[in-house]
Amino acid sequence: MTAAVRTTAVWAGLSAITVVSWFLAPAHHAQPVAASTPITLGVLALAVIKTRLIIQEFMEVRTAPLWLRLATDGWLVALFGAIVVSYVW
Amino acid sequence: MTVAPVWTAPAWTRKPKIDQWIAWWTIPVFYNIFGLIFVVLTRVMPPPRPDITQTQIVQFFVDHSLTIRIGFALLMFFIGFASVANGLIALQMKRMSVSPVFAYAYIGALVVGGLPGCLIPAFAFVAAALRPDRDPQIMVMLYDWCLLSFVGSLGCFCTQNMVLALAIFLDRNDVLPKWLAYMSIWMIVTELLASPVFVFRSGPLAWNGSISFYLGTVVFVVWEFCMIRLLYTAIEKQSPNEQIQD
Amino acid sequence: MTARSATSAPSVPRHLPANKDLWVFVLGDFVIFGSYFVIFMVSRHQERGLFIESQRHLSLNIGVVNTLVLLASSWLVARAVQLTRAGEFERARTMIVGGGLCGLVFMVIKAYEWSAKIAQGHTFPSNNFFMYYYMLTGVHLFHVAIGLVFLGVSYFELRHRRRVGSVETGATYWHMVDLLWVVIFALLYVMR
Repeated sequence: MTAAVRTTAVWAGLSAITVVSWFLAPAHHAQPVAASTPITLGVLALAVIKTRLIIQEFMEVRTAPLWLRLATDGWLVALFGAIVVSYVW
Repeated sequence: MTVAPVWTAPAWTRKPKIDQWIAWWTIPVFYNIFGLIFVVLTRVMPPPRPDITQTQIVQFFVDHSLTIRIGFALLMFFIGFASVANGLIALQMKRMSVSPVFAYAYIGALVVGGLPGCLIPAFAFVAAALRPDRDPQIMVMLYDWCLLSFVGSLGCFCTQNMVLALAIFLDRNDVLPKWLAYMSIWMIVTELLASPVFVFRSGPLAWNGSISFYLGTVVFVVWEFCMIRLLYTAIEKQSPNEQIQD
Repeated sequence: MTARSATSAPSVPRHLPANKDLWVFVLGDFVIFGSYFVIFMVSRHQERGLFIESQRHLSLNIGVVNTLVLLASSWLVARAVQLTRAGEFERARTMIVGGGLCGLVFMVIKAYEWSAKIAQGHTFPSNNFFMYYYMLTGVHLFHVAIGLVFLGVSYFELRHRRRVGSVETGATYWHMVDLLWVVIFALLYVMR
């Protein structure tokens, strides 16, 4: 697969995931919604997938030196870890 | 008959770039004293809360009256050191390949910034501390005046960082590294996030807030450390015979 | 595919996009924004009901459209880098302009969204949720503006010097702006 095709496929995937989020969001429903841990964890999982895709593919960290791969993955783990912990606390 | 020896200046005055080294040393001295004044003596850093009662505000001034006045009396003398530091940074900016317009703007921005950033807060607190038996409403006003000014005066420092970042980005002489320019952009962001202190009396965007105050202070401390270190390196690498543009 | 020795793994040539200075900037911005997100989550934890209630007043459709717009802009900018490497400078410049225009569209939509919210009575000091809403989207908008400057520089570099590094710099920063929005979208609009 050429780089161009790969990049376009990534973009299509990211956009598809975004549209899926539309169905999960509270404002989509007519009546008031309650907090929902499974849905939120799902939303956060999708967010991690999207952000990691952007970092690895668009920002080309996949082919970058080890220190950068570690730093970006480390940041993702720290950030989403903190978000999940503060959510379920 | 013997001839009296001609007095010659001591050897250390002939050390290359001694003028810049003297200027450089004022910076760590200033910041240590700044810390003593603002943190220990006057209690402005970290700031006391905006959302306390009038009685508590008056009590604050009663408790800290003496140290506030001593601390800010010290500031009146040492604030001048900041001018020396800025002169040094401006000189280094003149060594860059860009015109000295940025160096002049840098100095100008900080001259303006020193007033709401340091001196006005100092006078507000000192006035309150001088006579804590004043009308409580006036005490509250002086309290607000000091802290709003101290945390909320950000435009001058945004300008300072903007011209510094621009000068570094455009500089072809590599006087200061590009990553300092990027850090200056962080400074602009954290300073912009100090503007909500005029809107909120509690929470992360108040003058004692985690975002408006603490995050901004952390970024500033890191930036200042780097600036001090980079100035040292820049002076070291500078050739004593270098011609600097007018 | 050439035959490889069974004992050595093929090594991917490692390439750092742009330069170390820019990555100091990007990683530092990640940490700073990360702090904002964590502070947001802690506040949210303290007022869960309020946040969920207030969140319903946000226009999800605008949020999704804005996300798609930024993702498209990132795609265009990523393509610009690839085209620059292939020597197709004209097409690369077009891609950058496209990415920048998407960025402008994002800003216009955001301005419209804000004015709509304000008209509905949801202002900066309305409640804690809207404080974070305006703060996070506002700081992000400032980053979009800076990103447009970076893309502008990349565009001019392409016109005159044609160095891949300059285009990578603008692109990397732009992807960061996109990424931060993805997180904001999840935290403000979608999660509950």
